[in-house]
Amino acid sequence: MQKILFLLLILPLQLFSQGYQVNLQGQVSQGMGGAGSALMQDGSALFFNPGGASFIHKNEISLNLTPTFGNSTFLENNTNSIAHTTSPVGTPFSAYGIFQIKDSSKLKLGMAIYTPFGSTVEWEDEWAGRFALTRLKLLSIFFQPTVSYRLTDKIGIGAGFIYSYGKVNLQKDLPIQDANGEYGHAELDGSGNGIGFNVGLFLDLTKHVNFAITYRSKIDMKVDKGTATFTVPSSLEDKFPSGNFSSSLPLPSVFTFGLGITPNDKLSIAFDGNYTDWTAYDTLSFDYENNTESLDDTKSPRKYVGSIAARLGVQYKATDKITGRVGFTYALSPVIDRYITPETPDANRLNWTIGMGYKISDQFSVDASLLFTQFKREATNEETGLSGTYKTRVWAPGIQINYTLK
Amino acid sequence: MKNSIYLIAAISLITISCKPKFEIEDPSFGEMNPSSYVALGGSSTSGYSDGAYHLNGQENSYVAILAKQFEEVAATSFIQPLASATGINLDGNSRLIMGYKTDCKGVNSLSPVRVAINGDNTILGANIYSSGPFNNIGVPDLDITKINTPGYGNSASGTGNYNEFYSRITSDEINGTVLGDALAQNPTFFTVRLGEQDILNYATSGGTQAMPLTNGATGSGFDGSLDEVLSAMSGTGAKGVIATVPNVVDFPFFNTIPFDGLVLDASQVTTLNAVFNGTGVSFQVGKNPFIMLDPNSPPSFVRQMLPGEKILLSIPLDSVKCLGMGTINPFSDKYILTLEEIDSIQTKTNEYNTIIRQQAGNYGIAVVDLAELYSSLKAGTVYNGISLSTEFVSGGAFSLDGLNLNPRGQSMVANQFLEVINKTFNANIPFASSIKYPGIIFP
Repeated sequence: MQKILFLLLILPLQLFSQGYQVNLQGQVSQGMGGAGSALMQDGSALFFNPGGASFIHKNEISLNLTPTFGNSTFLENNTNSIAHTTSPVGTPFSAYGIFQIKDSSKLKLGMAIYTPFGSTVEWEDEWAGRFALTRLKLLSIFFQPTVSYRLTDKIGIGAGFIYSYGKVNLQKDLPIQDANGEYGHAELDGSGNGIGFNVGLFLDLTKHVNFAITYRSKIDMKVDKGTATFTVPSSLEDKFPSGNFSSSLPLPSVFTFGLGITPNDKLSIAFDGNYTDWTAYDTLSFDYENNTESLDDTKSPRKYVGSIAARLGVQYKATDKITGRVGFTYALSPVIDRYITPETPDANRLNWTIGMGYKISDQFSVDASLLFTQFKREATNEETGLSGTYKTRVWAPGIQINYTLK
Repeated sequence: MKNSIYLIAAISLITISCKPKFEIEDPSFGEMNPSSYVALGGSSTSGYSDGAYHLNGQENSYVAILAKQFEEVAATSFIQPLASATGINLDGNSRLIMGYKTDCKGVNSLSPVRVAINGDNTILGANIYSSGPFNNIGVPDLDITKINTPGYGNSASGTGNYNEFYSRITSDEINGTVLGDALAQNPTFFTVRLGEQDILNYATSGGTQAMPLTNGATGSGFDGSLDEVLSAMSGTGAKGVIATVPNVVDFPFFNTIPFDGLVLDASQVTTLNAVFNGTGVSFQVGKNPFIMLDPNSPPSFVRQMLPGEKILLSIPLDSVKCLGMGTINPFSDKYILTLEEIDSIQTKTNEYNTIIRQQAGNYGIAVVDLAELYSSLKAGTVYNGISLSTEFVSGGAFSLDGLNLNPRGQSMVANQFLEVINKTFNANIPFASSIKYPGIIFP
């Protein structure tokens, strides 16, 4: 019965990002439109360009948090019914530590801990897409020990090993009703891990121009023993046995080209171009341990396409203590119209960011940024038939504290 | 200073938590006016479903849902001859719900069961015209050739010329007619769904009841009768829409019991082969076609069913399981649609639809292609994450009688009408949210 029900279990994605890639890292680059692979200023270099970390001449620890306030509204075609998300605030965070064995050493060691994806997307009760998704909660943490080495005064290379751990909880209603009018419910809960790497090359071409090339590998997040729990009318319980499932989610590789220009001591301009190989995300499969006539394994086509993003940021050091930043990102969506889903009502988008830095003392400094974006996408999902327009607005204010070890 | 910090914080919080908004065009009726809306049709229009005429079916018929959507634009009234929750059908039974039933072999399983031992006899006992006039004058089992025949609501007219459901709502037992009662309301808007019922009356009787002639005068032929309806209704100046006839053979009622569902073991095969020795019928271990009576199949006048032939859901399943029905007691014709009968249904459906389109063109009435909606159900479709098909029960669109749609299916029909209404009359009436209408309810 209703074999296709589980075709509809959709993929865990992050709502407020390009695909499910979150680009909320260090506040310095975030204030500059997310660019920064060729402008080595703080510990987020470990994320942006391991090759450039060797050009940071200090021992520093940075902690940073970006509360993300995202709201989406869905207008269903034809019925004009409207639904809002009721998602809690997302809390991407990261921590970076860069260390050198001795002053002006060519070798730097670093540790980056960050959350490249993770949020909770929750739609209001009884919304039109309830049989596609009611709630998706994702948590993930990447641990990236990194080695960076300055080959010459002009060339730095670096590599980081990535271990990732993630948790997912996906819920939706099932279109099976009991005598009280209550619908069935499915909850998939699991955790998984994966490994990958992050490498980069940094070229200090001239006094005024830096150049960067980086590559972060694809990581397959594998969920082996997830728990699927089904709540259905008692007469159908044997058709929807709760039990284990397995699945996997690819985190695609990212290739970045970066340019950093510093015309003078006060002004810096950063440009990054990213290519994210989303073609890795072709199919989302769920393999249930206990199959029945109603509960088949599913393979849902995603057919993402490779996408590019361009980031531009400007920084101005107003005084010794105060730095101002501004920037923007233009990113193409990797999701084709007919595969738009309620957890990624993704669209081509323009992100605006501003930021500032304040040096409290020789040891302490803080950086803050604010990101704003809004975008709209009208689509009819091929699998669920859900048809309408999503509008999403995101505010992400972030703060970072840096401590320099003397 | 402190206060202004709080103020800035408060404004910031409000700004970042405000939800994106949409500008929605105001709904409107455009060039149509449903202030007096009359719905004409058969069982499906009346709200008959789950094998009976009952309240829940009436409240969720596609015409009731249409009227509800009109309310989204402006207040309109739509009065129905409401029955009770228990309901009634012509066999005196109540409506069906999903429940548990023990069959003749003692096996207890999930199955459609009657909600009450008996139907609600008060429903068909009295004429309730005084609580009308009724905007919904859909009449279960309506025969189109009787739509303007006085006495169709009078038991004295005799079987075939009398409809108990119409008797209940007629303005006048002796002189009232379905069409007359419709016109008396000075309709400003109407929907017509005719022809389907006549074909269903034939199909659900296993081809034992006649279908109206395609061409013939009012009172005998489909085209004459329909022409009388459409000319009278559009003659009032009212705007209207008419639905095409779906291929009823696709309905679950005809497709739930497979023609070759007779599964036999070796000893059963031996017994049956002995019984049928000399008839030209033989059996094998595993699946076999059921046996049916066929007057055109001498000398034994029994034969095996052929691929494509349909067994009706009205068949007494316990007799099949325990009393040898379909084997030593071959199926009688009223439970079977033969290939020939299916063929004549399809021919008739095409002919009716040609006439519907022609006459709709003549009278400037818009056509709702319901046949197309039912074909997409047959092929299997998905709506907001709900898979729908013509499968019995699991298909999620038909009610438990396998003939009429459940509320969810009805809402999709209503939306099909709205699509045409919006387009034809430049209206902007919001569609019904089909996910808010129940499909099948499970215990």
